[in-house]
Amino acid sequence: MDLSLNVNGRPEQFAAEPNELLVERLRDGLGLTGTKVGCDTGQCGTCVVQLDGRSVKSCLILTAAAAGSRVTTIEGVTTRGGELSGLQEALRQEHGTQCGFCTPGMVMALGELVENTADREAPTEPEIREWLTGNLCRCTGYHSVVRGVQRACSAARAEIPAEISGAAAVSAAAGSGSAGSASEPAPASVSASASASASGKEV
Amino acid sequence: MTAVTGEAPLQGSGVLGRPMDSREDPQLLRGEATYVGDVNLPGTAHMAILGSPVAHAKILSIETKAAEQMPGVLKVATAADFTDVMPLPCIWIPGGVESHFPPHPYGLPGARPVLTGDSVRHVGDPIAVVVAETPRQAAAALAAIAVEYEPLPVVTRADAALAEGAPQLHEAVPGNLNAYWTCGDKDRAEAALAEAEVKVELDLVNQRTINSPIEPRGAVGDYNAATDEYTLYASTQGPHNHRFLLAALVLGIPFNKLRVIAPTVGGSFGTKGYLYPDMALVLVLSKALGRPVKWVDTRTGLMNSTVQGRDHRQHVVLAGTRDGRMTGLWATSYANLGAYPSTIGPGVATALMGRSISGMYEIPAAFCEVYAAFTNTVPLGAQRGSGRAEAAFLMERLVDRFAAEIGMDPAAVRRKNLVPNEKFPYDNGLGWTYDSGDYQVNFDKALELSGYADMPARKAEARTRGKRLGVGIATYVAICGVGPSTRMSQEGMLGGTWESANIRVNPTGEVTVTVGSASTGQSHHTVFAQVAADELEIDPAQVQVYEGDTLRAPYGQGTYGSRSYSMAAPAVALTARKIKAKLVKAGAVFLGIPEEKAVYAAGKVYEEGNEENAKTFADLAMAMWYGWGLPHEIEPALDETTHFDPPDFNYPFGTHVAVVEVDELTGETEVVAYTAVDDAGHIGNPKIVLGQIEGSITHGLGQALMEAAVYDEQGRLLSSDLTKYALPRATDVPFFTLGKTTTPSPHNPLGAKGAGEIATVPPAAAVVNAVVDALSDLGVQHIDMPLTPEKVWRRLRGEAQ
Repeated sequence: MDLSLNVNGRPEQFAAEPNELLVERLRDGLGLTGTKVGCDTGQCGTCVVQLDGRSVKSCLILTAAAAGSRVTTIEGVTTRGGELSGLQEALRQEHGTQCGFCTPGMVMALGELVENTADREAPTEPEIREWLTGNLCRCTGYHSVVRGVQRACSAARAEIPAEISGAAAVSAAAGSGSAGSASEPAPASVSASASASASGKEV
Repeated sequence: MTAVTGEAPLQGSGVLGRPMDSREDPQLLRGEATYVGDVNLPGTAHMAILGSPVAHAKILSIETKAAEQMPGVLKVATAADFTDVMPLPCIWIPGGVESHFPPHPYGLPGARPVLTGDSVRHVGDPIAVVVAETPRQAAAALAAIAVEYEPLPVVTRADAALAEGAPQLHEAVPGNLNAYWTCGDKDRAEAALAEAEVKVELDLVNQRTINSPIEPRGAVGDYNAATDEYTLYASTQGPHNHRFLLAALVLGIPFNKLRVIAPTVGGSFGTKGYLYPDMALVLVLSKALGRPVKWVDTRTGLMNSTVQGRDHRQHVVLAGTRDGRMTGLWATSYANLGAYPSTIGPGVATALMGRSISGMYEIPAAFCEVYAAFTNTVPLGAQRGSGRAEAAFLMERLVDRFAAEIGMDPAAVRRKNLVPNEKFPYDNGLGWTYDSGDYQVNFDKALELSGYADMPARKAEARTRGKRLGVGIATYVAICGVGPSTRMSQEGMLGGTWESANIRVNPTGEVTVTVGSASTGQSHHTVFAQVAADELEIDPAQVQVYEGDTLRAPYGQGTYGSRSYSMAAPAVALTARKIKAKLVKAGAVFLGIPEEKAVYAAGKVYEEGNEENAKTFADLAMAMWYGWGLPHEIEPALDETTHFDPPDFNYPFGTHVAVVEVDELTGETEVVAYTAVDDAGHIGNPKIVLGQIEGSITHGLGQALMEAAVYDEQGRLLSSDLTKYALPRATDVPFFTLGKTTTPSPHNPLGAKGAGEIATVPPAAAVVNAVVDALSDLGVQHIDMPLTPEKVWRRLRGEAQ
């Protein structure tokens, strides 16, 4: 079937099988390999892109169902080698990526959170964690990612990135426990995590 | 060895030890990094692998004709097409004992064929491959291959595999026993147990878990008929090792005809250093088809093919005195190697676990025996913290049982038995000689940070909210820095385990560092640039790091066992020192002064007492490039290499404290606080290590609370995708409270110890100790992992394990 999409501001027209997944179109059809495939069941979140501004898992959407929509992939966030977005920069400062495989999906998912909350109070730590449950990361344990989002939200609210909000300050301090002086005890950051998540702890 | 806590001053410019931002991150954040799945060579054909749907059967026939007729299919191949490809070898066998393996034509321990022709031995065992124009066509054609099986009985547990009458997996392995391996002093341990005032015992299941890097593995083979050269792009953490093993021991081609490239690798956690059938298959098929051949695994494929971790069933005993002194330790372990030996699985399951069981404690008599057995499950390999995590789990569970038995505080028991500082280097009696440590300070710091003294009040408060608060301590020693090659050979490793680095100073003054290691997400480019810049006293921005391509990088073994910073970084530092020495020698010539008057500092060579008479780094780089005016004994150019083989391993250690709240009504366990004080010696980049520590703890919490590879009686992996295999998500963990102590290792010039995975070692023990503490008034002495709400709920209601 003949379909069209607007991908990263560019109109794209192509013929696709009815059962083609959006992620296949993006990666194989359009060569946008920044979007990843990490599982086959919509669990890992490495394939997250934005569809008309909402983050979606592109392995769970048929290309045909997305036809006519505006798709933004990680390649559409910045130019190649270009300046990082506020969120990307905050994640860089917090080292919110290690192997990087989950990172494009996280940037696309978290980008929506940062955008959507720009006109209100910064999202709380439990809110950020809840938002992140659609993305799996094995390297970081999520901590640096959560700190990165806190930093990004603070930076968006105060012109000066160094003026970070209470929540971010606590987490930054927890981070410096390992990074800082060895003999000084690290300030504790004990926060109740959001309880039992949708991730399902039962096997 | 004097232990040092706190920051000891580092030599060099001071750039090492700083939390520099990772230079890899911008590319990763922009989604620009190329992983193997993103490698698209012109004309690529796509491979799919048919894995067995049954766990144990004879193959009676394979019919491929229908598949060959499917759209886009270029080739369907079975074992019969690969008769000149040798089976994969196993290169880490149980050291010093009799062992049994499937055969390899060179007389080496064999592992598995690239495709199986006679029998299948686990679900996912590769039987046939299809190569087609597109991945979808290849996958579709797999369904058209008809295989007739004669089912055989199945065994999935190591202890059951050793029982009389158990199904036999390999002709060459009588009774499925790969090896019976021991360490320590059996007689003394027996005596200690027999004479003990107090003896506690536990039966433990250290359940099998699935490593689950977020990037599944992949491989692209590209044969060049014009040069008869093969190139393999693979998600590998050891490209040089893969090159050697594939060329010499699998394909039987000249070493210099194979190039292995590790593009960006999306995490490993112990899975991507192994030989897998797909690596050989894409190379052979590329040659056969005259096109690049690409294969990328699916998640379910990964879970049925890529090595898994842990999987020991144990009976463990601790003997001691009424006043809390440990006198004897015994561990009997049944290790489940899976259907075939993985490349290093048998060594991981024996030495890495067995020699580590006594942890930070001085126990006069200790013994460990491991029965390593084959079963109809996916091959076992390493997993983040492997061996050492299993060891810490049994030891730390025993300490809590012992403390409960004698009515002593678990912290007090631990403190009483820590190896004292004056005993270092400390021979633990099981085969390891701990290099350095200050366990008391580390232990006390963790307890203080965790607020251990306040726990009784917190427990009382939690009860008013319907929660049972529990606290669990776990300490550990994690052997790292594999390793001294000769010593590793005695441990059963077939190969060198040194590491190397090359430094070239470019004519324009920039520096190129190439290392044999290969990152799977550890920011090597950042950290190795820091090491070189620190030694050379130059700006790290001047230093470029390369790795991961066997054509460009000096030989090396890769990233595993937290070894890169204590193995490759010392190689970089030592190489930089060679460069510096040459700069001083040549600088003296250029400055017209005797060598002993030449001083190297801040990237310059100058005359002692006359700093005006100086040559900058860039001046010298250009002068050495030209080579004009050099005396005969000084070669032009600045290009040095070091192969670093350490005198012994290094032994990071630490203390973790978990605080959990168990919901009285639902049995849910929430980790409400987690404190970790780890000691990895001198750290190159605290920002990078912080991320590794946080991720490692989260990984360990996963095993404690939710992860399990579940096989049914027919050997089918029930938890075969991420809807059924639970991984920790962001809501499952609180921020941690982290601290560190710093005890340098004497075994490398940086004083470094392994760091990357060490914090995965104790969390499972800490969390289970905490939950058992929370339930202790109900008489609960142990709960097997994972501590799912249902399991805990049943124990809350008085049901037995």
